[in-house]
Amino acid sequence: MRAINFAHGEYYMLGALVAWTALDRLGWPYPAAVATAVVVLALLGLAVSRLLMERLLVMPFSMAVLATLGVQLALQNGAQLVWGASPKFFGGGWTAPVQVGGVGIVGQQLVIFGAAAVLFAGLAWLVRRTHLGRAMRAVAQNREACEVVGLDVERVARITFTLGVTLAGLAGALVAPILVNVGTTIGLPMVLRCFAIIVLGGVGSVPGALVGGLILGVAESFVAGYLTLQLRDAVGFTVLIAMLIVRPQGLFGVRVRS
Amino acid sequence: MALLAPLAASDYVLHVAVLSFIYLLPALGLNLVYGYAGLLSLATGAFFGIGAYASALLALRLGWPFWLAFPAAGVVCALIAVPMAVPALRLRSYSFVMVTLGFLVISESVAKNWIGLTRGDMGLIDIPRPRLGTTALASVTQLYYLTLITAVLAALAFRAVVRAPAGRALIALRDDETLAEAYGLDTWRFKLAAFVLGALLAGLGGSLYAHYTTVLDPLVFDVFHTLTLMTIVFGGGAGTLGGVLLGTVVFLFVPEALRVTPQWRMVIYGVLLVVFVFRLPGGLGPALARRLAHREAA
Repeated sequence: MRAINFAHGEYYMLGALVAWTALDRLGWPYPAAVATAVVVLALLGLAVSRLLMERLLVMPFSMAVLATLGVQLALQNGAQLVWGASPKFFGGGWTAPVQVGGVGIVGQQLVIFGAAAVLFAGLAWLVRRTHLGRAMRAVAQNREACEVVGLDVERVARITFTLGVTLAGLAGALVAPILVNVGTTIGLPMVLRCFAIIVLGGVGSVPGALVGGLILGVAESFVAGYLTLQLRDAVGFTVLIAMLIVRPQGLFGVRVRS
Repeated sequence: MALLAPLAASDYVLHVAVLSFIYLLPALGLNLVYGYAGLLSLATGAFFGIGAYASALLALRLGWPFWLAFPAAGVVCALIAVPMAVPALRLRSYSFVMVTLGFLVISESVAKNWIGLTRGDMGLIDIPRPRLGTTALASVTQLYYLTLITAVLAALAFRAVVRAPAGRALIALRDDETLAEAYGLDTWRFKLAAFVLGALLAGLGGSLYAHYTTVLDPLVFDVFHTLTLMTIVFGGGAGTLGGVLLGTVVFLFVPEALRVTPQWRMVIYGVLLVVFVFRLPGGLGPALARRLAHREAA
């Protein structure tokens, strides 16, 4: 949709904390907690989209960014009012190791891997093959032209945004068992990482996001494992800057004239 | 009014005023880079931090007085900005934003990990206050006047730059880069100049910050500071001087005023920002100017 949304990481954080509430406070099983997080975040995404995001479409770029900063502050600090500032112990998920070809892997990581594979295939299909996906790509390219040919731009934006929020919430609920401790501050570092991944892969490219995510994840793990954990946060951006100098449009991005 | 404020205001209000005078420098830097050259740079926050560290280290390690460390901090930032800008300015929109964000994250990482130089998370303490003759400027009132003077000088310098032919060129560049190029402007050179000058201003602000707070740790690179700068510039009115002056005061005093409800403070501030965007999409400064013009006409 060509907007920079600083609030996106907060939906990831909320997904994790909503799942925690269902799990810890309501005593529900983990899959039900994940489903709750998805439903709650989908509703929240729809509400935020209706209240704000659709109206931001016509705003100047800097003002739209400022509004997402406001949403970020309100969501993070609102979550702090609800859940408190101290991180919560997340006791769900399948944390027992599973033997896969002689390598021990935490079961939850397999679940995340599977979910990522399914979602990737689903998103790629949605964006490439369906009418909705074609509309999304069209809106990203030229909003006015879409309105001229009678496309309901607001509806496309609403579905895209709600889908994005829901996916962020799902990610939060799925990653929470690996994080073990989930707090209200996990959103902002995550959104920065997402920016790096997306630009690394090429803005608006689904396979680009997959490859970008893989590169960042592997690079971060290697640096954390072989050098120092402290430098981990800087890795993604070092990789990103190095790559942008060689290939300014991202790995899978197409050079566009602006 | 600003000159007499210390007589009436409490130390706390003066403290917030000092902070807003200090923040004005990086805000003007961001305004030049974004509001005039059209480059959304998150590196302004990084240069603020680098300036703060440069100035603090020069004073602590080499015993430089504030009056030397202050300009040196600006020069250090300008020197770092050049090699950073050369590859970064080839990039457009998102890629440029992300590279500048990356620069911020990497700067923070360096401040945290180069413990031999910066003492990492332990931070630097006892950064000397500026001295005038033999007396240290230690009271809030004295520092209020010092930062007021630097703020006024920075605003005047900013006005001189944007009113000069080079400033006109920047505006042309922001409004239509292709047209500006067709007109024969070397857009790349002007972008570079704006970026370097923005870094210089941010570095000077950082130096003031370090010598005002007297303690410094890697939190100075926190994204939150950069977001505050963006709020000031976007909210005040990017590409205007008056708007940014107003924004600096408003967006530092409003969160402080909300301290009456510490828990709800940032939630309310966030919601206010969103409401503000819908109410005054052009920013505070332009909206006020319109209102005044309207009144004069009536």
